[in-house]
Amino acid sequence: MPTFAGLTDERTLRAVPPAVSIMLALALSLQLLWHGLQPAPAARAESLPPAPDASSLRAVSFGEPITAAQMLVLYLQAFDNQPGISIPFLDLDYDRVTEWLAAALQLDPRSGYPLMMASQLYGQVPDARKQRAMCEFVHAQFLAAPDDRWRWLAHCAIMAKHRLKDQALALRYATDITQNASKASGWARQMRIFILEDMGETESAKVLLGGLLATGEITDPSESNFLTERLQALELTGKSSTPSESRH
Amino acid sequence: MLIPAAGCMSVFSGLLGIAIGYTLPSVEKSVPLVHITTIGKYTAIEAVRTRVPLMALLVLAVLLGASFFIRELAVTEATRFQIGFYATAARLCAVFMISLYVLASITREFNDKGLDVLLALDVPRSHYICGKLAGFMLTALAVAVIFSLPLWVLAPGAAAWLWTASLVVELALIVALSLFCIVTFNQLLPAAGFVAAFYLLARSLTAMRLMSAHPVAGQDTLSHQVTGILVEGLAYLMPALDRWTETAWLVNTTPEAGILLVIVLQGMVYLTLLTAATLFDFHRRSL
Repeated sequence: MPTFAGLTDERTLRAVPPAVSIMLALALSLQLLWHGLQPAPAARAESLPPAPDASSLRAVSFGEPITAAQMLVLYLQAFDNQPGISIPFLDLDYDRVTEWLAAALQLDPRSGYPLMMASQLYGQVPDARKQRAMCEFVHAQFLAAPDDRWRWLAHCAIMAKHRLKDQALALRYATDITQNASKASGWARQMRIFILEDMGETESAKVLLGGLLATGEITDPSESNFLTERLQALELTGKSSTPSESRH
Repeated sequence: MLIPAAGCMSVFSGLLGIAIGYTLPSVEKSVPLVHITTIGKYTAIEAVRTRVPLMALLVLAVLLGASFFIRELAVTEATRFQIGFYATAARLCAVFMISLYVLASITREFNDKGLDVLLALDVPRSHYICGKLAGFMLTALAVAVIFSLPLWVLAPGAAAWLWTASLVVELALIVALSLFCIVTFNQLLPAAGFVAAFYLLARSLTAMRLMSAHPVAGQDTLSHQVTGILVEGLAYLMPALDRWTETAWLVNTTPEAGILLVIVLQGMVYLTLLTAATLFDFHRRSL
């Protein structure tokens, strides 16, 4: 009759001294009791720490600054949702947010992610001062690489015009796009004209529109026709029409 | 270098058995703890002979050098950067070193059949485990003190003291955990994997509990409720290591000394649990 003893490398439970079993049960009970007596962890909002220096980050990124930049923006993006608590963007320290975004952009200048976060995420809070801070950040970064970053400034120009109701600021941004971003889309480069028109600066708008058509920068026939009509309308009325209604 | 070291270890295992064999008859009744102290003593000697303290000093030098590099990079708060980097890295390195040392040492003992020889003598299994635990904890104490040396110079004294004491308790717990894992799993890889997973989970469990208790969305879904129960259940069985040996103690405000009492008490409870679990498994082990 074959025996099955030795097929397993474990002895029976009887081999365990009762004292050990009692000790195990007691220790487990103590651990459960200990945990039961501890207060539940409380969520507490932590303020955003100062951004690390970009050169330090580059040094500790093991030669992968793009990955470091990505980690940086993801950390910043997730900061509003700390464990157990959600912090409104409005409560964040925007000076520090700007530092973090700038550090990420320094590590990965080709990325538009930090500028998107500035204009579309942090710039959407109902606080004019913070909106302006984000727009100024985008503007400053735009000047460093206009052809790559014009779209974020264009968004800020629209934001300045419609949300901040600051036509002068919108015009400044639109003018910078026209003057610096030669590779920007036509609509962005023409934005300056329409802002001027809305501001009642019809003469300036006419000059700019005429210049745009005369230089041959507009190659698309439909666009050229539309702008020509706009110019004729301006010349005929001699005053600001209601262009926004037709532009939307 | 490695061959003589391995030879020394084999000789050491034999000597350990002989030493216990000679001492047992005369002292067994008068000093019942002699097995534990002898095994503990030789386990600590093994650590010295396998150059664990030397390795700890070497790692300390590397980390300290790196921390000075970080200090130089920082434009402001240079000392804060240095302490923060050193404390975080030293804690992780200490845990990694001690855990791996315990796992490797016991694995070698299993493979060399030193354990079989030892248990063939009149040595209770519990004495073997307790002796090993004592020896490893002594080693952990030495490693914790070595790693904390720079912090005694860089950080405030009270904070450095609390940090060191907390690291000692943390390493003692890691020693017990590693011993439990290697006795239970017998193999280095699953044991090391379990220790690493346990440690990482214990350090992130509080955050997981908070996120689970206050989700951003989907609070009423079944999956969330199951996850919540699972996380809370784990929290009952694991120590919250994220509240131990915090770098914030060194760079921010030094906490009240009472925090150490909580850590020591929790450490004692969990050490007892792990030791009992190890003894339970070891008694069931067929050699």
